[in-house]
Amino acid sequence: MFRILRKSLKTGIVTGQHDASSASAPTVAGESAEKARSFRRSLAIREVDTGSCNGCEMEMNALMNPVYDAERFGIHIAASPRHADALVVTGPVTVNMEKALKDAYRATPDPKLVIALGDCACDCGMFKGSYAVTGPVARHVPVDVKVPGCPPRPAEIMQALQALMGQCA
Amino acid sequence: MEDTSEAVRKIIEGFGSIVLNVERVHGLPVVKVPKEDLPTIAHFIHTSPSLRGTLSLQWAVDLRPGERRFQLYYLFSLEERGDWLVLLTELAGDDRLFHSITPHIHAAKWYEREIRDMFGLIAQGHPDLRRLVRHEHWPKGTHPLKKEFPWNTVLERHQGQYAFRHIEGEGVFEVPVGPIHAGIIEPGHFRFSVAGEPIMQLELRHFWKHRGVEKVFENLSLVNGASLAEKVSGDTSFGHSLCYCQAVETLVGVEAPPRARYLRTIFLELERLHNHIGDVGAICNDTAYTLAHAHCARMKERIMQLNDRLTGSRFLRGVNTVGGVTVNLWPYHLDEIVYELDEIEEDFTELTRILFNNASLADRLETTGVLKERTAWDHGVMGVVGRASNINRDVRRDHPFAAYKDFTLKVPVYHYGDVRARMRVRIDEVHESIDLIRQAYERLPEGAITTAGLPTARPGDWALSAVEGWRGEILYFVMAGQDGMIHRCKVRDPSFVNWPAIQVAVLGNIIPDFPLINKSFNLSYAGNDL
Repeated sequence: MFRILRKSLKTGIVTGQHDASSASAPTVAGESAEKARSFRRSLAIREVDTGSCNGCEMEMNALMNPVYDAERFGIHIAASPRHADALVVTGPVTVNMEKALKDAYRATPDPKLVIALGDCACDCGMFKGSYAVTGPVARHVPVDVKVPGCPPRPAEIMQALQALMGQCA
Repeated sequence: MEDTSEAVRKIIEGFGSIVLNVERVHGLPVVKVPKEDLPTIAHFIHTSPSLRGTLSLQWAVDLRPGERRFQLYYLFSLEERGDWLVLLTELAGDDRLFHSITPHIHAAKWYEREIRDMFGLIAQGHPDLRRLVRHEHWPKGTHPLKKEFPWNTVLERHQGQYAFRHIEGEGVFEVPVGPIHAGIIEPGHFRFSVAGEPIMQLELRHFWKHRGVEKVFENLSLVNGASLAEKVSGDTSFGHSLCYCQAVETLVGVEAPPRARYLRTIFLELERLHNHIGDVGAICNDTAYTLAHAHCARMKERIMQLNDRLTGSRFLRGVNTVGGVTVNLWPYHLDEIVYELDEIEEDFTELTRILFNNASLADRLETTGVLKERTAWDHGVMGVVGRASNINRDVRRDHPFAAYKDFTLKVPVYHYGDVRARMRVRIDEVHESIDLIRQAYERLPEGAITTAGLPTARPGDWALSAVEGWRGEILYFVMAGQDGMIHRCKVRDPSFVNWPAIQVAVLGNIIPDFPLINKSFNLSYAGNDL
């Protein structure tokens, strides 16, 4: 008990101890901005991996760690697409995942946002043209924001999400 | 047939009249046998008390357009820390049938299904020839790794249903999970059969993420393959690119300079560190012990930020290149690494002391998801999972690569095979990794970090390379094609071998413990599905 308390006190607050994003924030305009308006203070995200190398997943997970702590901006991870406001899609959409992606999209209640995360999701990356890939994500579901990078750093993902939510300073 | 290797001598003793040819390819003994006799010899290697070979890898090569032949390779690891031995057989012309070794060697099960899917070669006598990689909606006769199959084919979508194994009876029901899971993890399908709480059967349905990695490799030149190898499994970016680069280096006959080999060791251990620390936290998180998870995630982040400062990539991408590394570490970098690791080691040791004093955590971890030694051996399980089940194997010690032959390495081995043992292996390896980095720091030689001028590889020549990634043994087989291109690149992430074993480890456990067991294995879906 005391050991745990001492550990926590010794560690202190680590939130925000990271470099700021060096990428430019994506612009959100038109219909996407319209849809995003209702999620300004709270955004529940369902992450759908459609064939990424799991680098993007690691960075999404990092977003929820004490250093980035995306929850403080009202960003949550939902366990089901039915509870989600936004889908974060990673990977180039493999032949085998195409149907699952569409199902997840259909299961997400309107209004909904789709964020294509990483180079693979944006334009299939190195797997462009492969027999096993049918992407990019935008070919199957409408995409509101693209976050390029291989993988994008957590600070960049956070910046994009905040831009989407209209929280950008 | 002059070979001094004991294993080869034994095979010649027993099967001298059958063996067609024995040669050494880049130091690796290759025994060529007729396809009819292959199962007998494989069985002998597997069961003979002095050899006890486990199947490490089985793969096929389409030699067309040069020659109208398929080759089948079987890589065995002999004894506990013994040598490698390759069995080779060929299918000439239109022959599409070979004899399955699965009835005797369990570890071949997925490999033979994979070969059937990718090449259309059928393992006769295989007990389960359902599709593995190709899901049921793929058209019949699609075999992507055959040379006549264009890499950019657009596949039609057909109808079809995967036939799961069912258990029938009163009160038995099935729980389908996936492909999309509740957390931020990769897709895969798990089908549980339960009666009440305990799991009676688990069947995996994977390969949702199949991206055609091995086919895309064939579009690349030998020199450019490393960037694709980094994307096989993102969390093992460095391990995979290192293994690829080593295979090509062997193939073209160059050696990375000593400084590059030390730097590779340091980077590989950094990758191991951030993954192991993250995993210890994630295992705790799956028992709802979020405090440990928060601390571990913080430490993991710290190492990834260190990676970023050292190389410009949190995943150490773009560091490996054929012939060396692209990033040099300067003295202030090295001091920073040692400073950070000193702090993290103290931090982590404090945390593990808290963990081991937590009775409710121990209660969840002990005797959960036991993988018995015999089962592990039969499946050829390796890496962290293997070492927790008393499989004493570590490529860093058994087949030293990079700079590992200069260091002494303690390999932690536990025999309980439960979740706690797998966590203990990780915790021990964290300390071992920090120690290795310190040793490398003290002895880091000066000099170049890349080799200038790469010779070209002779078409048809091949090489095999192994790296102990943080999950376990990564294998790459690279065969050179015309004009410096890759003819065939077989990638084997340890996940491919360890996944089937999880189906056994969960038996008798309750479904709520499955996420915990799965996390303690922490296998890659991307590296498995390719």
